[in-house]
Amino acid sequence: MIWHILLLSGLVIFSILAILSKDLIKSAISLAVASLLLGILFFQMQAPYAGVFEISVVAGLITVLFMLTIALTKTEGDVRESRSARIIFPLFFVAFILIDFFVMKGLLQKVPALPDAAELGAFGDVLWKQRTFDLVGQLAVILAGVFAVLALFRKRDKDE
Amino acid sequence: MIFLFIGLPLVVAALLPLLGKLSKRFLPDLLANAVFLVLFVLAVTSGRQMISQGPVLKQLDWLGEALSIQVAVDGFSLFMLMAIALLTLAVGLFSINYMEHYGAKANYYALLLMMMAGMNGLVLVTDLFGVYLFLEVAAIASYALVAYGLEHDELEASFKYLLLSVIASAAILLAITVIFGMTGSLGFAAVAEGLRALEAKAVVGFCSALFIMGFGLKAALVPFHAWLPDAHPSAPAPISAILSGLLIKVSGVYAMTRIFFNVFGLTPALSQILMYLGAVSIVVAALLALGQKDMKRMLAYSSISQVGYVVLGIGIGTPLGIAGGLFHLLNHALAKGLLFLNSGSVQQATGTRNLDEMGGLAKRMPLTAGTNLVGALSIAGVPPLGGFWSKLLIIMALVQAKEGALAVVAVLASVLTLWYYLLIQRKAFFGKLDEKWKAVKEAPFWMSAATVLLALLVIGLGLFFSAVIKTWIQPASDVLDQGIHLALGSWGF
Repeated sequence: MIWHILLLSGLVIFSILAILSKDLIKSAISLAVASLLLGILFFQMQAPYAGVFEISVVAGLITVLFMLTIALTKTEGDVRESRSARIIFPLFFVAFILIDFFVMKGLLQKVPALPDAAELGAFGDVLWKQRTFDLVGQLAVILAGVFAVLALFRKRDKDE
Repeated sequence: MIFLFIGLPLVVAALLPLLGKLSKRFLPDLLANAVFLVLFVLAVTSGRQMISQGPVLKQLDWLGEALSIQVAVDGFSLFMLMAIALLTLAVGLFSINYMEHYGAKANYYALLLMMMAGMNGLVLVTDLFGVYLFLEVAAIASYALVAYGLEHDELEASFKYLLLSVIASAAILLAITVIFGMTGSLGFAAVAEGLRALEAKAVVGFCSALFIMGFGLKAALVPFHAWLPDAHPSAPAPISAILSGLLIKVSGVYAMTRIFFNVFGLTPALSQILMYLGAVSIVVAALLALGQKDMKRMLAYSSISQVGYVVLGIGIGTPLGIAGGLFHLLNHALAKGLLFLNSGSVQQATGTRNLDEMGGLAKRMPLTAGTNLVGALSIAGVPPLGGFWSKLLIIMALVQAKEGALAVVAVLASVLTLWYYLLIQRKAFFGKLDEKWKAVKEAPFWMSAATVLLALLVIGLGLFFSAVIKTWIQPASDVLDQGIHLALGSWGF
């Protein structure tokens, strides 16, 4: 239990750092640490597949992509950032904590035991046999992403 | 057959970038428009036949083995499939000429087909996670399409759209997660049953709030509308037509309505919230539209206002209100599609979207001016066009439901709508032709063909409104009406 609380606190702190940090590299690293902690939490809660994906994709691959993008981007003059985020974010955060404290407890008391549901089973079974339609959707998401990249980074033909 | 609505656009989209290497224009134009036409014909022929005995659940078989790919078709989803295919077909025809100067047509059509597959998928899925997944497919394609011109404003608008859309998706996903945590299920029917068995009033309230925020952002209802007036005008005209005509309705209104009516059940409190959100959107966006000088921006604000009518009508929750809301959805999809396409024709001919710089264009572009008038009058609610009948149904439903104040708001806002549409018509098309527009020519063949087709449909919807309501709107509204009777008042709010 104490581990859970420590991991969750770390997750919240590093997520806030990722939002509030002015240095993009620090933001990216904070996000990676946050998702690493989340990955560990997934492992502790007996969700190894979620943990593996969280750590390899979010903490690993996406951080590498962020770093690469930051390294490849030139700084062209300072852009003044709006200061409102610094005021609005803490307000939202406090509001969220309050909702969490007052509402979630009521919700969680009613959470039934999951295993009686029809959609549970071994990971592979669920993914390939029960949620096949999701794979079609995932495929479509990836395709849409590829076409988006092709469209946005296209070279314009001379006659266009 | 019904799986073609998702499979066909996906497969052709995947092939198009390769085929585009063989033929840069002809093949992409032909294939994409053939898909739109085939799907439209399927929706109006076999689709209607399929649901003649009531809603059907279809499972995909692969080599004799049943896969866990299931879709459901009922009057509501078929109505949406038909609207999607119809407007996408008009947009596809318009794109043949219009997208010439943007280049990379194969890629453009691939994204358009992906967006269509996403919308069709969203309409056909039977579970909450499917809703989220296909919502994202359509959204990702639309981010790229908004930024398709690659200019600074377009990229900025697309980025703003992406950020606000991600917040919407996060709210929707959080609600779905909470529901899954509570019921252990994602299917519409199983979730509805599970929530009732648990008497999960607090969960339904909490998730309803998240869904209203998420789908409200997707539908651009006031106060969640900030992204739309930037995103819709920045996109190429055919994409603006799809975004305003379809996407906000499918990923906002349809998804919200399906969940509130057929999963949670429309409670009196939810009904009130939807009606007031709709009414606020109608008035605020109409007032904001009045002050615009950019033609497409004015149309974008008008979309927020008209989606307000749709939500107001559906939110009443009576059979008449739902029918009015759905009929207005169809009228607005076609008429706003037409107006955005016309704005594209004008922008391509003159190089500007600023209404103050235009004037007298009707002399040079009579077809565009004429069809524009048809679309504008329909949305403003002038008889005998379709928009008049749908607004009349909504107002009658409001009076029936003893919501007199909202009925007055709906009538007055309609006058505002007529006002700003006449402003567009007067500033752009009527009056004296400016010297600098002497050389302006009417839009090319396919662009004109698409707008004339839509204008004829808009007129047809008005003249044959009772047949349209009987064939398309009534079956759709019956599905929602049954949902209300199942759940009315069961949550105590």
